[in-house]
Amino acid sequence: MEILEWVRFMIGAIFILIGLCIFIIEVFGIFRFDYVLNRMHMAAMGDTLGIGCSLLGLMIFCGLNFETFKIIMIVMFFWIASPVCSHMLSKLEVTTNENLTEHCERRDDLAELERELEEEAKC
Amino acid sequence: MSKLVPQEKYEKTKAFHFWRWLSGTKDPYLDHVEMKEQKEWKEEEQTIQDRMNERQMIHDAVYDMGRNKKQRLFHGIYVAVAIIFCFLLLVILLYTVSNLPPTGSPEKAVNNEVPERYIEKGLQETGAVNIVTGMILDYRAFDTFGESNVLFIATVTVLILLHYTKKDAAAKKEEANDRAFEPKNDTILQVCATILVPIIILFGIYVILNGHISPGGGFSGGAIIGAGLILHVSAFGFVKTEKFFTEKTYKIICFVALTFYCLAKSYSFFTGANHLESHIPLGTPGAILSSGLILPLNICVGLVVACTMYTFYAMFRKGDF
Amino acid sequence: MLVFQLILMGFLIVCAISVSFSKNLLNSILIYMSFSLIMSLIWVCLESPDLAITEAAVGAGVTSLLFFTTLKKIHAIKIEQEQEKKEEDLHE
Repeated sequence: MEILEWVRFMIGAIFILIGLCIFIIEVFGIFRFDYVLNRMHMAAMGDTLGIGCSLLGLMIFCGLNFETFKIIMIVMFFWIASPVCSHMLSKLEVTTNENLTEHCERRDDLAELERELEEEAKC
Repeated sequence: MSKLVPQEKYEKTKAFHFWRWLSGTKDPYLDHVEMKEQKEWKEEEQTIQDRMNERQMIHDAVYDMGRNKKQRLFHGIYVAVAIIFCFLLLVILLYTVSNLPPTGSPEKAVNNEVPERYIEKGLQETGAVNIVTGMILDYRAFDTFGESNVLFIATVTVLILLHYTKKDAAAKKEEANDRAFEPKNDTILQVCATILVPIIILFGIYVILNGHISPGGGFSGGAIIGAGLILHVSAFGFVKTEKFFTEKTYKIICFVALTFYCLAKSYSFFTGANHLESHIPLGTPGAILSSGLILPLNICVGLVVACTMYTFYAMFRKGDF
Repeated sequence: MLVFQLILMGFLIVCAISVSFSKNLLNSILIYMSFSLIMSLIWVCLESPDLAITEAAVGAGVTSLLFFTTLKKIHAIKIEQEQEKKEEDLHE
C-alpha cells in the first residue's frame, strides 16, 4: 500500500511541477514579447494548460471526494471563461489598432482564406 | 405618470379638481385664471461680456497677492494655522494611542471578555455555526444595517449625479458610440454567458444561504450575484436586462429589504433588552433553516448589495437603467 | 507558511508603491487588482475566509470594473494615447 501512496504522490508532484513550469514560461513570454496578440497567446496558455495541469496534480493528491469535484468545477470555469476573455481582448485589439498590418497579416475575406487553406491541405 | 383612467374621466374626479386648485389654473373665486406664456428671457451679448469683465476685475483686485497686503497676511496666517492644526491633531492622536493598552495585553476587555463570550456562548445564543456571521448579524447587527444603508445612500448619490432621462440626439449618439469598440452581439461571449451566468448567480445564492454554516454571507454573495448580472449586461446589452431589472425593481427590492431588516432587528433588540421571549426558533445548528433571524437578514443584505453593484455599473455605463 | 506570508507582504508593498508611481492610469488599476488578489490570499492565510471571498469579489472584480467604466466615461484612456503619440513625435 505504501508503494501505491508513493506512486500517487510522485504523479501528483510531476503534474504540479509541469504546471509551474508552464506558468514560468508564461510569465517569461509575457515580458519577452512586444506585441499584444503574442503576449495574449502566452497568457491564454498559462490560464488553460497551466491551471489544468496544476489542479490535476492537486486532484491526484486529494483523492476521490467532494473537494475533487469542487476543483473540477474550478477548472471548468477557467476553461470556459479564459478563452472567451482572450477572444474579446484580441477582437478589441483588431478593431481598434490602426497599424495592425505592421504586426501581422490581415484577411477580411474569410471564404477566400478557407479556399486557400483547403488547397494547401490537398497539396 | 401613467394614468389608468382616460383623460376625460379623470377630469371629473375630485383629485383632478384639487390638483387644478393647487396648481392655480382655476381659482374658486376668480374662475379660470389663464396662464400666459412668458417670453424666454434672453441676455444680450454685451451685458454678458460686461458682467464677466466686472467679475474678473473684482476677482483680480481681491486675489492680487502681490499688492494686496490683507490677502497676503491672510494667506500666511492660513498656512501657519493649517500646519499648527495638523501637528496638534497629530500630537493629540499619538498621545491618545500611547495611553491605550498595548495590542494583545490581557487586561483589555476586547482581548479577554468579549471573544470569550463570543466563542463560548455564540453557538448557543445565535445558533450560527460560523461565529463571524453570528457576530456581524446578531451581536452587532446594527453595524451591518448601517453598512447596508451606506450602500443605499451611495447608490442614491450616484443616481442623483449620473441619472438622466432626457434623450436628445447628442445623448443618443454618445450612447451608441459608447458601445462602438465593444462586442455588440458577439456570439462566443453570448454562448459563454448563457452557460456561466446561471452558475455564477446560483453560486452567489449558495454563498448567501450558507452564510451561517460556512464562510460567506450577504456581502460576498451579493457581490458575486452583482458580478453575474454585470456579465449578463455586457453580453446581451441593456435591452435584455431591462426585462427583469429596472429602476422600479431596484426601488422595491431596496425598500423592502432595508425595512424588513430594520423592523426585524428592532423587534429582536427590543425583546432582548426587556428580557422578553422573542418567539424566534433557533433551530438545530448546522441546518440551513436555523439560527433564527440570521438567514433572512443575510438574504436582505445580499439583495441590497447585488442591486447596488448592478446599479453602479448601469449608472456609470449608460446613465440610465 | 510564515515565509510565504512574508513574500506576500513584500508583494503587497511593491504593489502599493507602484500604484502611486505608475504614470498610466490603466496600469495603476491593473496593479490595484493584483493588490486585492494578494490581499485576499493573505486573508486566507490569516484564517478569515469570509473576508477573502468578499475581497476577491468586490476588490478585484466589481471595483476595477467600475474604475474601467469611469475611465472610459471621462475619456481618460483616449487622451493618454494621444499624449503618448505626442511624446513619441517629440522624441522623433
